[in-house]
Amino acid sequence: MAAPVLETENLVKIYGRGDTRFDALKGINLEIGKGESVAVVGKSGSGKSTLMHLLALLDGPTHGVVALEGRPTGDLSAKELNELRNSAFGFVFQQFFLTPNQSVLENVTLPLKIAGVPAAERKRRGLEALEQLEMADKADNKATDLSGGQKQRVVIARALINNPSVIFADEPTGNLDSATSKVVEDILFGLNRDKGITLVVVTHDEDLAQRCGRQIYLVDGEVVPNLPKSTSGVGGERGGQPGTRPASSTTGPLQVTEPTTGAIVTLSEADAAEIARAAQEPPRAGRHAAPSTTDQPGATA
Amino acid sequence: MKFIDLLRTAIGNTFRSKARTVLTVIAIFIGAFTLTLTSGIGTGVNDYIDKTVAAFGNDNALFVQKVSEQSTPGSNEGDGPTEYNPDEADVRLGFGSVSGLTDSDIDKIEKIDGVGSVDPMYLVTPKYLESASGKKFKLSLGSPPEADGLQLESGKAPERAKDEILLPASWVEPLGLGSNQDAVGKSVKIAIGNAMDQERTFTAKVSGVSQASLAGPSDNPIPSAGLNKKLYDYQVSGSPKKVPNSYFTATATVDDMSKVGAIKSELSDEHMQGRTVEDQLGMFRAVINGIVWILNSFAIIALLAAGFGIVNTLLMSVQERTREIGLMKALGMSGGKVFGLFSLEAIFIGFLGSAIGAAVAVAAGSILSGVLSNGLLSSLPGLSLFLFNPVNIAAIILSVMFIAFLAGTIPAMRAARQDPITALRYE
Repeated sequence: MAAPVLETENLVKIYGRGDTRFDALKGINLEIGKGESVAVVGKSGSGKSTLMHLLALLDGPTHGVVALEGRPTGDLSAKELNELRNSAFGFVFQQFFLTPNQSVLENVTLPLKIAGVPAAERKRRGLEALEQLEMADKADNKATDLSGGQKQRVVIARALINNPSVIFADEPTGNLDSATSKVVEDILFGLNRDKGITLVVVTHDEDLAQRCGRQIYLVDGEVVPNLPKSTSGVGGERGGQPGTRPASSTTGPLQVTEPTTGAIVTLSEADAAEIARAAQEPPRAGRHAAPSTTDQPGATA
Repeated sequence: MKFIDLLRTAIGNTFRSKARTVLTVIAIFIGAFTLTLTSGIGTGVNDYIDKTVAAFGNDNALFVQKVSEQSTPGSNEGDGPTEYNPDEADVRLGFGSVSGLTDSDIDKIEKIDGVGSVDPMYLVTPKYLESASGKKFKLSLGSPPEADGLQLESGKAPERAKDEILLPASWVEPLGLGSNQDAVGKSVKIAIGNAMDQERTFTAKVSGVSQASLAGPSDNPIPSAGLNKKLYDYQVSGSPKKVPNSYFTATATVDDMSKVGAIKSELSDEHMQGRTVEDQLGMFRAVINGIVWILNSFAIIALLAAGFGIVNTLLMSVQERTREIGLMKALGMSGGKVFGLFSLEAIFIGFLGSAIGAAVAVAAGSILSGVLSNGLLSSLPGLSLFLFNPVNIAAIILSVMFIAFLAGTIPAMRAARQDPITALRYE
């Protein structure tokens, strides 16, 4: 393994206290080498999102250490942490988090704007990043006028623009149909391969996880060598249903109109099924606050 | 994030939900519009008073009068008759007499520390003024020092050494002098009686025509100091006994206005009363300022209400943009900058409302002023009801922006405190 870009030592994160105490992470030790692609795999409530937030310096641990390029980050000031996140990390989220009334270019250059880069240089680097993702012709479009796949490419361009050493991708294909997912995955792994950007993917999608160089399995806040067979994959997130998406859909993508923008979005069968189910089920409260009992089948490693 | 980017982003964000911004801006507009107009009235009327003050004479003039020693109810020395004092000079008026200032009083005033010079005012009571056509008019004269501060329609103030007189504009036509311009240089006659009840006429040249004013003395013709003295000398002549000089009032010029209080108290020790122009106009000014402040307070209440509009608008905005804020914080934007961003939005909304409000108020006030001074207020030339002072307008805009900033702090703080993780959680 190359020199670790991210390391953790006995990482513990506890939410709440007393009756509501919830140990999200119970002492995680791991190393992520420079240029590696790592999948953090686990069900909802397994602590994978918490782990990503701690690695990405979005949150501080209750105990333990996160070190970036060998430097412990625990005693850095809020300002230093902000600058570090701005310069060293790129973020790709399941939801695109594009600012709706701004142009694609403005969205892509947001990290540079926050860093205080002058406007002319922002534009140049923004167009460069969009060029890489073959989106340069959409630079002046409103972010809302794009399809789901295009939006995710804009998001990747935004994550790339500051030449990060690590890209954190939280369910990067969660909102995309399988064909688009594959394109986005190819882009991410291409960046990892060609530019040596470390890729940390948080997912419950076993197919995506398998494309990564290494998988870290999390169960109830602890790293396990492998997920127990009995869980039949890692589909717990979608209400116990096996959530693995067929690698290639035989029935073809389903197209729906996105309510906010009117854009046509192509959905996979799994997503369509989820939408249908969500429409029938009442919303589940506190999904992220604590694991529901149905989400913990055979946690013993 | 650089300040200029922060500002640009804030302005851009302001126009994101246009309807909401426009409504909030309208609320501020109303407040700023009212405040600008009322402050315009304040400036306009006070400016007019200042001009009138000038008409009363110099700012550093102290008008000194004898305080009558006649018994006044409640005063300690008052009960019972006042002893006769042969040195006390009475100024004889048609309906009796009042205690006047004597030459020794004038000396006393001159010796008070801080007083520069003292000019006694001669009380001249001419019989009538006769126009060129022979028509006679009742006449009471103004005091010569008052002429300096008057707003003139034409000509100039009477020269001290010449037999000149300044006429109010309203006298020009009845005297058959033609226009204000034509009147200058024409002659009028002033008839006056002496102690022997003899009558003599003096010819005076019209040196100029004065504007009417709200609270000035300019409703009376004002002779030159020289003419006034001549009239006075004739008036007191012919008496078998020498009449001691007595003056209704004297004008003391004060070198150092900070000593006015001390001078006044010394005067009152000598049974004299000194009043500045400010004292004479103080009441009037207080009433005007009171009215203006009542109007201002309505405008300020409107602005406070508008401030809550800003709070509301920005709270909604923060709510809507939770994820955007979360993203910006995740991408390394500090809480301080997020606070700055929302504060700038609030300030910009405040600026829009107040700048538009002030601009419209200035336009409306100027038009209204013009219409009124040709119509309703035409009898008060020199009064522009609304007068806009750039410093006041800048102060109004800045204070509205400050109110907007204060209103914005609540939502801005909420935005700044947002936890990126909570904000980015996808539900």
